Amino acid sequence: MITKPLHTKLLYGFILLAALLLPLYVPDPYMFQVVIMSLIFAIAVLAMNLIIGFTGQASLAHAAFFGFGAYGVAIMTKAGISFWLALPAAASISALIGLIIGPPALRTRGSYFAIVTLAFGVIVWIVAGNWVQVTGGHNGIFGIPRPTPIPIPFIGAIEFFDQPAQYYLVLVFLLLTLFIMHRIVYSIFGLTFMAVRNNEPLADAVGINTFTTKLISFVIANFFAGLAGGLYAAIIGAVSPSVAAHLLTFNFLIFLILGGMASLAGPVVGAFAIPILMELLQDLGHFRMLFFGVLLVATIIYFPRGFVGAVRQLNDKIAARRQAKS
Amino acid sequence: MELFLQQVFNGIMFGSTYAIVALGLTLVMGILHIPNFAHGHLYMLGGYITYLFVATLGLGYWPSLLIAIVVLGFVGIIMEAVVYRPLNEQPHINAFIAAIGALLVLESAVEVIWGPQGMRVPNPYPHTFEFLGIIMSVQRLLVIFGAILLIVLLHLFLKKTLTGTTIEAVAQNREGAMLNGINVNRVSSLTFFISSGTAAVAASFIAPIFVISPAMGAIIGMKAFIIVLLGGMGSIPGAIIGGYFLGLIESLGGGYVSAAYKDVIAFGALIVIFSIKPTGLFGKKEG
Amino acid sequence: MRTLKCSSLGIALAFFTLFAVFAGGAWAEEVVIGYTGPLSGPAAQYGRDCLAGVELAVEDINRAGGIKIDGKAYTFKVASYDDMIDPTAAVNNSRRLVSREKAVAVFNPVFNTIAAMMQINEQRGSEFLMMAYTSTPALDKIPNQLTVAIPPPFAAYAIAFADRAWEKGWRKGAMVVTLGAYGDEWRKEFRRVWEAKGGEITADQPANYYTETDFSSHLAAALATNPEFLLVGGPSDPTGLVIEQAKNLGFKGGFMMVDQAKLNYIVDVTFKGDITKMNNVWGVVRTLDLGVHSETQALIDRFVQEKNIKVPTSENFLNYSAMRILAAAMVKAGTVSDPAKIKAAFNEVLPLPVEDNPIMYVGLQGSRLLVQASIQFIEENEYKTPIQSFWWIDDEKELQRLVDMQPPEHKVHRRILPLEGYVMK
Repeated sequence: MITKPLHTKLLYGFILLAALLLPLYVPDPYMFQVVIMSLIFAIAVLAMNLIIGFTGQASLAHAAFFGFGAYGVAIMTKAGISFWLALPAAASISALIGLIIGPPALRTRGSYFAIVTLAFGVIVWIVAGNWVQVTGGHNGIFGIPRPTPIPIPFIGAIEFFDQPAQYYLVLVFLLLTLFIMHRIVYSIFGLTFMAVRNNEPLADAVGINTFTTKLISFVIANFFAGLAGGLYAAIIGAVSPSVAAHLLTFNFLIFLILGGMASLAGPVVGAFAIPILMELLQDLGHFRMLFFGVLLVATIIYFPRGFVGAVRQLNDKIAARRQAKS
Repeated sequence: MELFLQQVFNGIMFGSTYAIVALGLTLVMGILHIPNFAHGHLYMLGGYITYLFVATLGLGYWPSLLIAIVVLGFVGIIMEAVVYRPLNEQPHINAFIAAIGALLVLESAVEVIWGPQGMRVPNPYPHTFEFLGIIMSVQRLLVIFGAILLIVLLHLFLKKTLTGTTIEAVAQNREGAMLNGINVNRVSSLTFFISSGTAAVAASFIAPIFVISPAMGAIIGMKAFIIVLLGGMGSIPGAIIGGYFLGLIESLGGGYVSAAYKDVIAFGALIVIFSIKPTGLFGKKEG
Repeated sequence: MRTLKCSSLGIALAFFTLFAVFAGGAWAEEVVIGYTGPLSGPAAQYGRDCLAGVELAVEDINRAGGIKIDGKAYTFKVASYDDMIDPTAAVNNSRRLVSREKAVAVFNPVFNTIAAMMQINEQRGSEFLMMAYTSTPALDKIPNQLTVAIPPPFAAYAIAFADRAWEKGWRKGAMVVTLGAYGDEWRKEFRRVWEAKGGEITADQPANYYTETDFSSHLAAALATNPEFLLVGGPSDPTGLVIEQAKNLGFKGGFMMVDQAKLNYIVDVTFKGDITKMNNVWGVVRTLDLGVHSETQALIDRFVQEKNIKVPTSENFLNYSAMRILAAAMVKAGTVSDPAKIKAAFNEVLPLPVEDNPIMYVGLQGSRLLVQASIQFIEENEYKTPIQSFWWIDDEKELQRLVDMQPPEHKVHRRILPLEGYVMK
């Protein structure tokens, strides 16, 4: 078991405290909205991180699974099923679909796996837009109920109409996801994921069933992608095929790479930093995407390991200097 | 029967475009192992350069086509040097992200310069005629035969000239080529020049029949990507056959089954093929 | 000595600033009108056209001295953000516009994003008036007290087209309409109306007008069923291409265009003024015929000169109108900050005087503004007299009342076209 140094623990404790108290100091509903959406995206990107960052399989169908969760919750809650049942059910459906398409898709490797999953994602997106009876077609499903209120004896009920309640809801799920990811990654189980990523033939040779390992990682990732999608549907209240579009996958991928792959902090940092950056860039008007494109290329060239990688590099440098002095 | 023939004609015409675009991409992916997801956007830019010279500056169609090839060739060289070369040692997924950045730059630059609306390049050969019950236009025939000519020329270049054979050598064995003293960077630039130039040809051919818009590159880029993997990275016959195959599937599938699900047929076929043969139709074992 | 100079300069500056602040207070207060929509990406042209309409209206109002409420003067300012038809971005933009810039109304031109915005526009403490530019009838079924829908529901156009096609003796139609939320509903609605009349839809070959570049395989499949007319349409440029390709494939029948495609834009831009290429096409009325020629021409000219729009369309005009009505309603309601009161005043200010707004909006019913749906035919190289459909009434007397409101020099045919769900009993 790897133990973190004290100052890192303090830092994480401070961030947690800051997160818990956020509604007290968030400046306005706009910033609050951006934060809530980033929390949801962080869950999806953490899931993507498991399959891409830790297991080395570039699944480009991630938004499709996000979409299964979103449509699942939308359809079930509109049919009167409680959100608290619909959310795990939708995430499980997403995982189950992963279990079905995983075996044929995982026969391919590397770029081929990426393109097969991309093709699957595009199909899901097209079907979402055309299967009108179920998905509402390109109009999508709107007027999705907010999460069902939680009754609390004597006090009343927690409702999810206002931003603070929505915020704590998604924060709880993000912390839960982080906790589970942490347990997975720092277990024997997680080590097999990384063994497959680093050298598949070698992993195979030492007796790891690489196919099953990849499949398990894929299914877990898709469960959490579905979970994030379900939360998204209930918070934003309207879903349309854009929630399953490959463009969303690319967004997640950008969050992941720029935040830092194969770490737990990276996806969260990416899911916050990029949307906030995009908001700041709104003032550039028509030049916004031009600037973002240049920034993306430059960042990937100069910081190929993303934010977390850059911080680690800096840490190593400082440590090396200290050692040189003593 | 007439409808069938008409759809086959359309399919071959689409296929010609796909084949040329995929051809350029397979060179880049085979030789440099760069997932150039922005290839479709180079094609789009080719359409706009043609527009600039034909419609805005009033040059003839053929001179404009040549200029578009050269301009796009240099855009390709710059793109390789600035975006991809620094990423040589990094995982493919990083180059993929860089490609997304590059395509955002291309698309928004075109949007800033020409605006987001669709535009039309004047058609040099608008004449239409009927043959065996199939309605054809001269420009459409030009797309088909122009594509064949281009493929033949490219083949001769790669097989018969010294420069061409060095490209093939790098495609087949990068390390071996380096050991033989081939300057890989120079080959990279040259490959990008050819790749982007051919994309420009495809765009110039079809621009007079279609509407050009900044978003036109995204879908064809993705399709070219799929054709290349289906045909095997770096395989020229694979890209050509894959291109015509996709064109025909789309026009027959779209015409007979469902237009809305047209792309589902193409992408579904891809998944089925890969799950049976995980390295593509013409793929080498483990690339 | 030097420090003295500096500080005296500082004092002077401070005074100047103070003066500017006070003087500023005496100037008119600025009311922010929000806009979020696609300003980049495939639908950017559409989004920018809608924005230009709102902007020109605001510039016109400001030029005339703004509005006065209880003796206090207000001018307007448009704050616009790009959402690329992403609901997340649209909601973020709305939050930003409402909480940071204090916008009381936010315009948006796409149903998918409007549906998400309608989830937050009634939230207590951050209410805003949703100015929805969408002809999708699905909007009218969402219960929402603070929404104003600007264009007529397209069901009105679908019925008007079906009626004209029937009159012409056409019985078989095929559809090559754009894919997407809007196109899907159009196809569904037109099929319903047409089949109810006893007509036949021989082929339905939707194509993505935004990403597809060639329509010949769709058209070949549709034309193989020998239709007498084609229902086509999506964004104007590709729609023109579809019409051209269909004619090239030997099609001699008529065309009907869904309301997103614009007759005059296709004639003037896509075909560079060559109207012969648009013969035998039905579409939504050209911009010039939206109102009295002298008035609409003046507005067209200003869109061309001031907003740099080559061929102004109803996207420009209808959003322009909505902004004018919104401003008038604020005056009537006596508030620039209470969206509920402002919406309640809409019916009291309509119709606006023709010099403020050339399009005859006559009222607001539920979330929908009431404006006639006008269609037009191009035949023998000219635009025929447009046909106005009044879709929210079902009796002649009411029609007469509405006709009397319109300027007599506006040459149109007028019809009652009671639309299910919109006629008030």
